[in-house]
Formats: sequence, C-alpha cells, structure tokens
Amino acid sequence: MDATYLSPRSWGWRALIALPLLGGCSGPQSTLQPAGVDAEQIARLFWWMSGFAILIWGVVIGCAVFVTYIKPRSHDSRVARWLILGGGVVVPPLVLGVLLAFGLSLLPSLSAPAEDGLQISVSGERWWRRVRYPTPSGGTVELANEVRLPVGERVGFRLTSPDVIHSFWIPSLGGKVDMIPGRTTRLSLEPTEVGVFRGACAEFCGTSHALMNFRVVVMEPDAFDTWLEQQASPARPPQGEVARRGQEAFLANGCGACHAIRGTSADGVLGPDLTHVGSRLSLAAGTLPTDAESFERWISHPDDIKPGVNMPAFDMLPAPQIHSIATYLSQLE
Amino acid sequence: MTRRAQAEPDAQGKPTPGRRESLWPLAMGPLLWVAHFLLSYATAAVWCAKVGGENGSLGGVRLVIGIYTALILSGIAVVIWRGLRKHRFGTATVPHDFDTPADRHRFLGFATVLLGGLSFVATLYVALPVVFIESCR
Amino acid sequence: MNDRTYSHDERDDRARREAQERRLSAPWQTPRGWRYWSAVNNSEVGLWYTATSFIFFLFAGVLALLMRTQLAIPENDFLSATTYNQVFTLHGSVMMFLFGVPIFEAFSIMILPQMLGARDLPFPRLSAYGYWSFLIGGIFVCGSIFFGVAPEGGWFMYPPLTTAYQEGLGADIWLLGLSFIEVASLAAAVELIVGVLKTRPPGMRINLLPLYAWYILVVAVMILFAFPPLIAGDLLFEMERAFDWPFFDPSRGGDPLLWQHLFWIFGHPEVYIIFLPAIALVAMIVPTFARRPIVGYSWVVLAAVGTGFISFGLWAHHMYTTGLPNISLAFFSAASQAVAIPTGVQIFCFLATVMAGRFVRSVPMLFVTGALAIFVLGGLTGVMVAIAPFDFQAHDTYFVVAHLHYVLIGGVLFPVAAGLYYFYPMATGKLLAEKPGYWAFWLMFIGFNVTFLPMHFTGLLGMPRRVFTYAADIGFDGLNLVSTIGAFILAAGVAVLVIEVLRPKGKQPYAKRNPWNAGTLEWLGEMPGKPWGVRSIPLVKGRYPLWDQPHLIRDVDAGRFYLPDAEEGKRETLITTTIDADPIQCLRVPGPTFITLWAALFTGGAFIFATYKWYLAAGTSALLALVTVLVWLWTGTAKIPEKRSKDVGLGVSLPLYASGSTSVGWWAMFITMIGDMSAYASLLFGYFFFWTVHDDFPPDPAAGPGLFWPVVAAALLLGAWVCTLLSRHWNRRDRPLAFTLGLGLGAVLNVAGILALLAGPHLNGLDPTRHVYPATVWVLVLWTTIHLGVGLVMQCYCIARRWAGRMTAEHDIDIRNVTLYWHFMAITSGVTVLVIAGFPLLA
Repeated sequence: MDATYLSPRSWGWRALIALPLLGGCSGPQSTLQPAGVDAEQIARLFWWMSGFAILIWGVVIGCAVFVTYIKPRSHDSRVARWLILGGGVVVPPLVLGVLLAFGLSLLPSLSAPAEDGLQISVSGERWWRRVRYPTPSGGTVELANEVRLPVGERVGFRLTSPDVIHSFWIPSLGGKVDMIPGRTTRLSLEPTEVGVFRGACAEFCGTSHALMNFRVVVMEPDAFDTWLEQQASPARPPQGEVARRGQEAFLANGCGACHAIRGTSADGVLGPDLTHVGSRLSLAAGTLPTDAESFERWISHPDDIKPGVNMPAFDMLPAPQIHSIATYLSQLE
Repeated sequence: MTRRAQAEPDAQGKPTPGRRESLWPLAMGPLLWVAHFLLSYATAAVWCAKVGGENGSLGGVRLVIGIYTALILSGIAVVIWRGLRKHRFGTATVPHDFDTPADRHRFLGFATVLLGGLSFVATLYVALPVVFIESCR
Repeated sequence: MNDRTYSHDERDDRARREAQERRLSAPWQTPRGWRYWSAVNNSEVGLWYTATSFIFFLFAGVLALLMRTQLAIPENDFLSATTYNQVFTLHGSVMMFLFGVPIFEAFSIMILPQMLGARDLPFPRLSAYGYWSFLIGGIFVCGSIFFGVAPEGGWFMYPPLTTAYQEGLGADIWLLGLSFIEVASLAAAVELIVGVLKTRPPGMRINLLPLYAWYILVVAVMILFAFPPLIAGDLLFEMERAFDWPFFDPSRGGDPLLWQHLFWIFGHPEVYIIFLPAIALVAMIVPTFARRPIVGYSWVVLAAVGTGFISFGLWAHHMYTTGLPNISLAFFSAASQAVAIPTGVQIFCFLATVMAGRFVRSVPMLFVTGALAIFVLGGLTGVMVAIAPFDFQAHDTYFVVAHLHYVLIGGVLFPVAAGLYYFYPMATGKLLAEKPGYWAFWLMFIGFNVTFLPMHFTGLLGMPRRVFTYAADIGFDGLNLVSTIGAFILAAGVAVLVIEVLRPKGKQPYAKRNPWNAGTLEWLGEMPGKPWGVRSIPLVKGRYPLWDQPHLIRDVDAGRFYLPDAEEGKRETLITTTIDADPIQCLRVPGPTFITLWAALFTGGAFIFATYKWYLAAGTSALLALVTVLVWLWTGTAKIPEKRSKDVGLGVSLPLYASGSTSVGWWAMFITMIGDMSAYASLLFGYFFFWTVHDDFPPDPAAGPGLFWPVVAAALLLGAWVCTLLSRHWNRRDRPLAFTLGLGLGAVLNVAGILALLAGPHLNGLDPTRHVYPATVWVLVLWTTIHLGVGLVMQCYCIARRWAGRMTAEHDIDIRNVTLYWHFMAITSGVTVLVIAGFPLLA
C-alpha cells in the first residue's frame, strides 16, 4: 500500500486548492474529508451547523453594527423590546431544540456495535499503540502503531491503557474515544474508502503526547485477509550477512527482553512486537519511516526523537553493530 | 438621559405587600430544574452501572424519567403561576423600578416568572434524551 | 453653589461641614510610608489585586507567545517537549486561576462598595488576607517555571499521568499552590455576597440593585458550589501523591474518572464564573453610552441567575469521549444547549438598550462591540461542540482551542479592557487617552482573529491540542504560521494598552466628575477620590440614581444623607436589610493592620512547605497561622461598642452591635459553611461514585469501620452539639458559670467523639493505602475530625472570650456564630457516620 499523502507530487495540487480555502479540508488527518460512515455523518452535521452559525452571527453582528455605527440615533423602544422577545426569547429555544433533537438522534447510530464484525483490541501505552487482531485460526496477532481495516465493514475496537489516559482517534473515519486505565472503552468505525490515513492521540498523555500517532490503512477485504495472514506468520529469516549479524546482535544485546520477534527467541512484551516491523508504514509511532537509516537513528538515540521514551539509548554499541541491527529490522517485512 | 417624572401609578391606596419577602422563590424554578437534572442523571447512571450493564436496555428508566419530568414541570408551572400573581399585583407594569415595596414585590414576581420559564424549557430539553436513546451503550 | 457671598448661616454650615470632613478623613486615612502595605481599605486592596492579576495575565500571555513561536513551523526545536508542556500548563492555570477569577474579585472589591454607596466591604481584613494569599500563591506557582519544575500535566491535571507518572514537584506545586488561592477566592466570595446583600444604601431595594451587583451575587454563590469540589479533589489527589492513597489508581480500586468529574464540576461553572463578571461590566457600560437605562432589566437578571444554575449541569460535556453511556452524554448535551438561551437573552438586552438609546462612541464601547463580535462566534461554536457527535471529532483539537479563546477573550479580555478604560478614572481620577485606545483595540481585534480564526480549521484538519510539535506533511503548517503572526499582533495591541495605562500622567488634569455621565453610584465620588469613598451615604430612589435624582451629588457632598461624620473617629458603614435595604446597623469596620499579611504568610508557608514534604515546617507554619488568625479575631472582631446605638443622620438611630442572623458575621459563617458543605458533598460523591464503578463496594464488609465506634462517636458528637446549643442559651440568660460548664462539657464530648470516630477505622485495621475503600472511609473520617478540631478551638475561644469580658450576655456574636458552625458539625458527623457505618449494611 502506497502512502499517497507522502508523495509531494500528489500534495502539490492539493495544496494549490487548499491554500485559497484557508487550509481547505483535505489532509490525511482531516475530519472534513471523511472516508468513513461516522465521519461523513459528523462532517455533514458540521457543515449544517456552521452554515446556521455564520447566518446567526451575521444577523446579530449586523444588527449591532447597525444600531451603533450606522444608525446610532434612538430607535423606537417598542422595537427594542420585540428584539429581546424575538431574538432572545422565542427563536433560540426553537433553533437549539431542533439542533439538540437532531444531535441526539445521531447518537445511537454513531455508537452502533460491530455485532459480528472484526474486533480489534488497541492498548494505548506511552507513547505508542499496541494493536491486537484475532486471526482466523482463533489466535491473536500483535502489531504496533498501525491499524489496517477492510473497507465497507463495521469494525469494533476495544480500547484500554496500562498507564495513563490516551485517546484513539482516526479523524477521517470517525470520532475519538479515550483509553482509560482500569476501563475498557469501545468504538466502532466503518470505512468507506480505500486509502492511508493518520490517527493521533488527542488526550494529553505526557512528554511525547505529540508523537503518538499511527497509520491507518483501509484495504479491499481480500487484500486485508492476505495481509492479516502474512502478519500472523513468524518473522522471515535474515537475508544476507549484515542482517544475520544484526539478528545475532539484537538477541545478544537483550533487545528481546522488551521486544518480541516471532520465530526467534526474542519474546519481550514491554515494547512493540517487531515481527513484521519492516512492513509498517512508520517507526516510532508515526514519527519516522521504516528504512534502515531511521532504525539506526532510533536505536542510537530514541530519546532525541521521542523525549521521555522508555527505550534506553543504545549509542554505546559500536556503529557497525547498530547498522546491522537496523538492516535486520528493516528487512522484517 | 431619562429622568422619571411621574410617580408610581398605584403608590397609594393599595395594601403594601409583606415586608418579609425573600429571594428563595426566585431560585425555585432553577432549583426544580437542578433536581430534575440530577435525578434523571443519577437514575440513568446508577441503572446502567448496576443493573443494565454496558449494552443493556434502559428499561423502565425512560418511563421513570418521564414521570420525573411531568412532576417537575407541574412544579415549575406552580412557581410560574405564583410569580405571575406577584407580577400582576396592582396596576404598574415593567420595568418595576420604583423605590416602593409594591414594585419590589412585582419585580420579584416577574423575575420568578422568567426564571420559571427558562427552567421549564431547560427541563424539556433534559427530558428529550429519553425519546431518542434506548440503551445504556 | 455660590461662594461669593456668605450669610452667617452659610458660614456656620460651611464650618460644620469642614469639621465633619476633618473628622471623617482621620479614620479613613490611607497609611503612609512602608505602613502603606498595612492598608485594608477596598480601594487600596482592590488596586493591588487588579495590578497583580494583570501582571499574572501578562506573564501568561508571554507564555502563550512562547507556545506560538514553537508552533510557528513544523518540527521546531525552540522549546523542548518538557518545557512546552510546562508552558501550556502554566498558561492555562495562570489565566484561569490567577487572572480570570482574581480580576473579577479585584474589580469587585474596588468598585462594588462605590456602586453601593458603601464606605468599604463588610470584612476589609478578609479581603486583604485574600489578596496576600493570592500574591504569595501566585508567585509560588509562576516562579516554578524558572526552576524548570513547573507542573506539566495540563491545567486539568488528569491522573494517573499526574499522580503516578510525573516525578518532581510540578503537580504538588499546582495542587497546593492553587488550593491556597482557591481558599482566597472563597474568602472573596463570602465578602462579596455579604457585601451585595447587606451593605446597600438605604432605598436600594432588590429591584433597584445595579446589574453588576446581581452578576457578582450570582458569581459569588457559584464559587461557593464550584470551588469546593475542586478543593475536595485536590485533597484526594494530594493524599494519593503524598501518602499513596489510591483514589485514582485502578490497580487498587481507584478510578481516574472521579478526578475528571470533580474537576469539571468545578471547571465548567468556572468558565461562567469568569465570564459573567465581565458581562457585568458590559451591563454597566452599555447603558452609560446608550444614555438610557437598560432595556429588560429583569431579563438580564434572569440571564445571570439562570446561567448560574444551568452552568452546573454541563460538567460532563468535557467528558463526552470518556465512554460514558450515551444517555448520560445526552443529559449534558441538553443542558449545554439550554445554557445558551440565557446567554442569548442578555446579548439581545444590550442590543435593545443601544437601539432604544442614543449611542455615543467611545473606547469602552468599541471594546464592547468587539467583544460582542468575538463572543457571539465563540458562543455559536460552543453550541456546536455541545452536540456530542460533533464533539467526538472536535474534542481536544484546535477547534476547541479556538472556541474557548473566542469565548474567553471575547467574553472576558475585551470586556475587561473596556472596563479598564471605563473605570480607570474612577480609580485614579484621570482619563486614559482615546487614540492609544483605538490602536490597542484594532491591533487586539485583528490580531486575535488572525490567531484564532484559523485554529478552527487547524482543528478540523485533525491537529490535537497540547502537542509541542507537528509533522510537516499533513497540512498544519500554513495555518499555524498565520496563527503565530496573529498572536504577535494581538500582543502588540495589549502592549499599547499597557503602555497607556502605565504612562505617567502627572501633568494631565484630573477628569471632571462623572466623566462618562453615567447613572450609577460609583461615579458619585470626586476626582480624585477621597479615602472615605462617599461623603454621605445617599438614600437611593432608582436604578440610576445620578440620572433619577437631580440634586444627588450636591446633597451627598453637603453631607445631607447618612453617616456624614465620624464623631468617634471610627470607620463606619451602613448595614441594611437584604430585600428592602432598610438600615439596621451602623457597622464599625476595622482599619489598617499587618496581621492579615502575617496570617497569609503563615498559611502560605503551610501549603508551600507541604509541597516540599517538609511536614514539620508546614505544621509549624499552620500552627502559627492559626495563632495569628486567633489574635486577629480576638483583637479585631466582635468589639463591644462604647454605646448601644448612634445617630446616623436623617433622624435615624442605629445599633452599633448586632448578633445572630442580622449580623454580617453570622452571614459570613453561614455562607462559608455552605461552601464547606459542598466540599464535603463532593467527598461523599466520591464514596458513591466508587460504589457505582465496583460490583461490590464496600468490597469486604468485615473490613469496614464497624458499627460500634461510629455510633458511639455520633452519640458523643450529638451531645457536644446539644451542649453548645445550651451554653448559647445560658449565655443569653447571663449565667456565665452554666455557660462555661456547658461549653466545657461540649468540648470534652467533642474530643471523645473525635477519638471514637477515629477508633472505628483504626481498630478495624483499615489500611488506606491498600484499596480505595479504606481510603475513602478514612478521608471522610479525617475531614470530619479536622472540622471537629476547629470546632473545639471555637468552643475554647468562646469560653476565653466570656471570661475576658469580650463577650457578654448581650454582645454574643462569638457564641452565636460558633453555634451556627456546630449545626453544620452535627450534620457532617451524622452523615459521615451514616455513610461509613450505615451504607455497608445496605450495599
């Protein structure tokens, strides 16, 4: 799957349209370019409300400017009284009442449970996301910082957190729900378009709250099934000498205490599962691409890239060793 | 600048209303709204936490909240009616700004009516959710 | 007046008046030299308060510029993540706690007595104490950033991030520093409620109350119900941070959502607590420049009171995304729509007033118009985010940042700027220049919109709040740059305003009296103002006395009304009845003193040392604070006057001493205890909240505090209450021995009751660090026993006062107020016992 928004060419013309529209509505994280049923409903609600809001603002402010700067003379006080009665007393309760009823009527459908659809568990941890899929064989497969969804299907999310409050939000697909320690919250989404989107953490969760993003890939159902199957398989063996040394160094330096790579002896659970890390669209929760160079940077100085991160820096390792580990990991597709 | 020339229309001839009046009637309408809000919220929250469960039905809660609403609305109606009677005391009309016990009495009545009206609408708003929402989800 | 020819009568009259003025100015003189800082008069304290909160505002504004600089371009490294987080936390906290709330208290302390024709507020020393507390706490909280230890959990401080995942003192500084300031706000609330209800000029019936006073009354009452839940939350929070009581730790039965409930039960009314007083300024400014009384006075009162109530039903709209059941969200969504109705009404009342009047252009009115344009938009986006489905997207994004700044800058900053221009001559006697005012306005208005209008779109494009950086490739860049440029334009506007305010005005002539031709009493004073405020306290006949009563200024100056003299050389003001403002007492108010400063220093020490966990120092400081307060009360309150009553003018003779429900002290105690009860109710809410989130709560009935000790405690404390009640009765009958024995027995029963109450959880081995259930029981017990401890001090104080001759059968303020306190103690201890011992039997 190609990250279209990363390509500057596709962005060029979008930016051209976007700028005159004061930023426009597009973007991989935009709520106004919906690609899901829920986001669409909310965007429509937004446009209607904005239209009315601008209208009301115009009338009120127009009225204010008229009586102050255009015709500041004394007007009939009976008209003034009617203004209070009409503008302040009769109209707002009716408008607000209708809006409230409309808003309330949306609530049940927006939180419709994904009865028999896919159920994904996501755990927000400082500052990344652990994502667990059920496999067709009845097991679970663990990923990090990437959510892939089949298009046209309502998918349920079970959201948890082992540490602080985070939030799970894919603006293009729908609203957000907090991930609260000690509770399991739920969300369901139904993507309508194939594509790559961005998710973010919306609830302030500490030092690197800004760097807790993730990629969302909506795929055709067949492609999704193939992908899930591939993710469930163990890691492929290292290709080439450098990668082989990388694997050895990975295991010898105790990386496996925190990270798991299925098919090797690394089975740590504290950090992200790296079995197919090379196939992901981003490293370090949406911060870096997954090429060997980024892995090198990350392994040597994770704290520079993501302040406060739990992973220690490994810059005491010799540079060739870091390079080999990075090569190995970037190969894990 | 406006200066009031005329004296209050019915300053004389009417028995002045009681000196011992308080601000509490003013707060009655909003307090009834508060009671309705808290009762409805607590009933639904406790039901969903203790009985209904995460996906359970709201069951009788909707009816119960309907009953609260009917009771509270009639309470507010009484408050408004009593306020209206005070407001209509004598013959003077708004803005009730004379330095007399009678105008003070009328003002308190009128303010009670207004607050009652707001509370009435707000109570209707708060009752609206049970029309649309059927479960604890 | 014609000064050229005098008859004998006139000359006598003049001599008499000059003598009066001399006598009047003696007690009201502002102290000079370093003693200036011992002043307690409302005009001095109000001025310090205003200046200090503006300095905090500028400080928080600079923090905002730092943030905007960091966010100007993507992946900027101007500020580190930690610094940025500290900066945004302090920006929010300072703007809310050290500017938004205090600026209203400051303005009110300064102008309310003037508006009510009073010489001072009823408890000037309490205002001074509040001011010093505010200053000390504010410096403590703001100073932390210079040592890199500022709080970094957001102004909302959500646990468990702040309880378990942030080391260092930041969160403690936030909690203790701001709790201390909240106490000062409560003090101001008490002061202002009593001020509005009891210190009005004769004739100012409740239907003639200036709208400003209505708003302040509403806001002060709101503080009584809004701040205590946060204080209760702070207590739970600090118990968890300092002593590991697991209120918010899910692994031991706690729940982080409890904090969110308590915080927002405070936090949403808070928004209205800072917004309504600003609108109150508008309600005073608009009629002046429309040259007519407000249209729809009753409707504005409706708006103020209605908003006050409904704002307490909105708190969970900050929690729409926490997974609460839809039905709960729906109730809060409904209330959030309802609150827009009164807000709209008052805006249309202002419009109608301008429409019906003859509008006069002026700088204050320009700021008001700008405020309207900004605030209405903020209100409309508020209605949008109150619709839960839209909030699912907008929540915690820059859309909300834009919304809240439209509301707060439009609803608070612009009206405050208008108020500054408007009231400046009242405080200093000089007008601010017009031209800089227009410059300041347009820079601020344009800068504001350039900053915050784009933020709506930034948020909709998906930019979350509280991020120290953002990626370059997702379309946030341009909008953020525009916002940053706007922020600096806005800052330039504020700078112009500040320069104009600070510009030395030595040569500028004083403004003419009542420079804006306003109709309300605060413009009665001379330019520059005299320390006594009003020359004589007028008899008021309308809502706009300066318009309605043609010779008012002349008669006031001639001393033709109440209290034109101070024969005994004491500071005096009038106390009137709540509804009809009939004069009932001539209140002697205290003069300058340093003791309030000492009391604030020691109270501050207790909180600040506790932050560093220096508990010995904190305890000592608290003890010293208690001693200072006792000295203050002993020497400065409930003084027995040299005569029973005095002639206050116009043939009215009023008592100099009042006790019970007619005295201001009784009212203050009652109001304080209402606030205290709402903190207690918040703790109870915590208990029942845990009951709803746990399947079995209490988890193991055998581990509770048992039935025996709590019931014994209840019986003993009931006895203590009855004894206190009886001793009040015996004091009235002038039976000092019976009084002493009764109150002494009450004190003994009280001590026994405290011990019995502690014995329940202690003897049953309740360990508050093990689970949230024992922690909740302990916190209720501790709350109750600490209050009973205070009750014990009060009982002993009354006995001592009686024997020192400072309290007599007739002059019994002390015991009356202590009895009132004990009524609340009876409720508190009864409910505590019912809950901790009784509820486990039901659940």
